[in-house]
Amino acid sequence: MAVASKYLPGAKQAHDTHHEEEDHKQYLMFDPKPRGEMNAMVMESMHTTSWKFWVVFGILSVIVAVCFFYAWGYMIAEGLWVAGVMRPSYWGIFLVNTVFWIGISHAGTFISAILRVFKAEFRRPFTRAAELMTTFGLIQAGASIFMHMGRVWLSYWMFPLPNERQLWPNFHSPLMWDLLAITTYVLGSTMYLFLPLIPDLAMARDRSTGWRKTFYKILALGFRGTEGEWRHLITAMNFFAFAIIPVMFSVHTIVSWDFAMAMRPGWSSTVYGPYFVLGALHSGMGAVAVVLFIMRTTMKHMDYFIRKEHFDALGKLMLMVTFAYTYFFFNDYIVQWYGGDVATDNLLHWLEEGPMAWMFFQMVAFNIIIPPLLLWSKKIRQTPWLLALIGIMINVGMYWERYIIIPVTLSINRMPFTWKLFEPRMDVFLTIGTFSMFLLFYMLASRLIPLIPVWEVQEGQMAHSLRKVGKAHVPTLSDFE
Amino acid sequence: MSEATLLAVFEDIDPAANAIEKLHELGVTDENINVISGVPVAHKMLGRPHPPTNVSRLSMGGAIAGFLFGLFLNFGTPHLYNVPVGGQFFTPIPPGMIILFEMTMLFALLATFLGVFLDSDFPNYQPMEYVAEVSDGKIAVFFRCAQQEALKITETLNKLGAESVRPAEARQL
Repeated sequence: MAVASKYLPGAKQAHDTHHEEEDHKQYLMFDPKPRGEMNAMVMESMHTTSWKFWVVFGILSVIVAVCFFYAWGYMIAEGLWVAGVMRPSYWGIFLVNTVFWIGISHAGTFISAILRVFKAEFRRPFTRAAELMTTFGLIQAGASIFMHMGRVWLSYWMFPLPNERQLWPNFHSPLMWDLLAITTYVLGSTMYLFLPLIPDLAMARDRSTGWRKTFYKILALGFRGTEGEWRHLITAMNFFAFAIIPVMFSVHTIVSWDFAMAMRPGWSSTVYGPYFVLGALHSGMGAVAVVLFIMRTTMKHMDYFIRKEHFDALGKLMLMVTFAYTYFFFNDYIVQWYGGDVATDNLLHWLEEGPMAWMFFQMVAFNIIIPPLLLWSKKIRQTPWLLALIGIMINVGMYWERYIIIPVTLSINRMPFTWKLFEPRMDVFLTIGTFSMFLLFYMLASRLIPLIPVWEVQEGQMAHSLRKVGKAHVPTLSDFE
Repeated sequence: MSEATLLAVFEDIDPAANAIEKLHELGVTDENINVISGVPVAHKMLGRPHPPTNVSRLSMGGAIAGFLFGLFLNFGTPHLYNVPVGGQFFTPIPPGMIILFEMTMLFALLATFLGVFLDSDFPNYQPMEYVAEVSDGKIAVFFRCAQQEALKITETLNKLGAESVRPAEARQL
C-alpha cells in the first residue's frame, strides 16, 4: 500500500533551505577553509611529485634537447633552407608558431586582467595558471621569431642602437611595431605575473626550509603584508589590469598588420586586427581549459580549488568568443570573396578545392561549427575532460588557421609561375621543440610557484556570504575596496 | 622616556579593529601603529588612515617619459639616421602613433612596477618585525608605546581577544 509522505509543518522549508545551502557549497567562494589549511594544500601540491612526473619531465627534456636546441643549432649551421622556407613561401612554420603562441598568451591577460577589471569572481583560483601561460607562450613566440631570423646573432640590428654603419630600424615597418609591441607585452605580462605572486611567495617562504627557503626568500623581496605594502601592490595591480588590456589588443592587432599591410591576396584586409585578436582569445581560452584540466587531474588538492563551476564559466566564455570569432571570420571571408579580385579568387578556390582543402574545412569545423554545438550544454561545460577536449580541438583548428594564413596563402600569389605548395621540413621538429619547452616550463613552474593565488581565494571567500531574502538564501558579494 | 614595541596577534578583523580603537583611546597614535595581514584589509575596516602611495604618480611619470621617448624615436632619430620610405613622409604621424602608444605603455608599466619596489622598500632582506602566522590568516598589530604603559595595554588587548601580546623582535624572514 502506497503511503503518501507528508512534511511536518515547517519541515519542508527547513529541508529546502538546507539543500540550498549545500548547493552553494559547490562553489569555492561558499566553501571556505581556514587559510592555514589552504596554504598547506597548495604547498603540498608543489612538493608532492610522483615518479610519473619525472618520467614525463625526462621525456620532455630529451625532446627539447633534440628538437629545440640541436635542431636549431643544425639549422643555424646549414641555413634556413632546411626549414622549407623558399620561394614563394618565405614565411613558414616559424611565423605560424609565433602567431599561435602570441595567441595562446592572450588568454592569461584576458582571464586575469579583464575579469579582474569586471570583478568576475570565478577568476580567482586560476588567474595565475593563465598568467603563466602568457609568459611561457611569449617565450616560445620570441624563440620562433629568432628561429625565423636565421642569422640570430645579428638580432641586435633590430634595436635602435647608434652605430658606425648608420644602420637604423625602420619605424614605418609593421615588423618594427611588432618588436616594440611584443617587447612591451612580454615585460608587462611578466611584471603582471610577478606582482600578485609576491604575497604567495612570502607564504611559501614562511613554510619552507633548505634551498626552497632561500629561493622564496629572494623572490618574496622581504614582503611582510604591511598596510603600505598591500596598498602599493593593489594600486599597481589595478593599474596593470587596466593598462595591460590595450597592450594585449595592440599586440595581436600589430601581428595582424604584418600581413594586412601587405597588398597580397588573402592578406590585405581591414578586419584583420579584431579578427586576429578574437582568434587569439579563441585559442587562449581553449588552452586555459586544457591547463586547468591537467592541473586538476594531476596535482594534489586541486579539485578543491578548481571546480566544475570554473569549467562552466570558462565554457561560457569560450562560447561567447566562438560566436565573436565566427562573425569576424565570415566578415573577412565574404569581403574577399565578394571583391572579385582574380588572385584572391584563385586563392579561395585553392583553399576550398586544392590539396590543403582538408585543412581549411577542418579549421572551419573545429573553430566555428563544432564548439557552439557542444558548448551550449551545461553538462558538457561542467565535464572537465570534455571541455579540455574542446580546447584541444579549438587549438588544432587555430593552428591550421594560422598555417592557412601564412604558408598556404603565400603559395598562391599574383605570379602563377611561382605557385608552389609549402612543404615543412626541419621546422616540424622545432615546432615540437617549442611545444615541449612550453610544457616543460609549466611542469617546472608547478613545482616552484604556487599555482593557486591563495590570498586572492581567501579574499574572495571573505567577501562572499549568503543572505536570507524571503525564504531563500541568496549569494551576496561585498566590495571591500 | 623609554618606549616598547609590542606585537598583538588577532584571529580576525573585528577584534583587531576593536584593539586599534582601544589603542587610540589609550593614546597610541596612528603613526605608531602598523598592521600586518595575509590578505589586503581595507583601511576603513580597521579604522586606520589611508596609507599614502606614490605608485600612481610614478605610473603617470613613466607614461610621460615613455611618450617623450616615443616622440624622440619616431620624430627625432630619423634626422640622425635617415631611413627614407617610398610613398611616406619623412616622419609620418600614423605609424608614429603606434610607437608613441607602445613606448607610453611600456614606460608606464615599468614605472608602476618600480614604484612598488621604491615605495615598499623592496628588496629588503634585513631582519624585520614579523610573525609567520600572518600568512595563515591572522592579523598582527605592531605598536609603539611608553614602557610604563606596556603592561596595561597588554592586559587590555588580551581582554579584547588578542591571541598573544608580546614584545616585537626583528628577525630574519
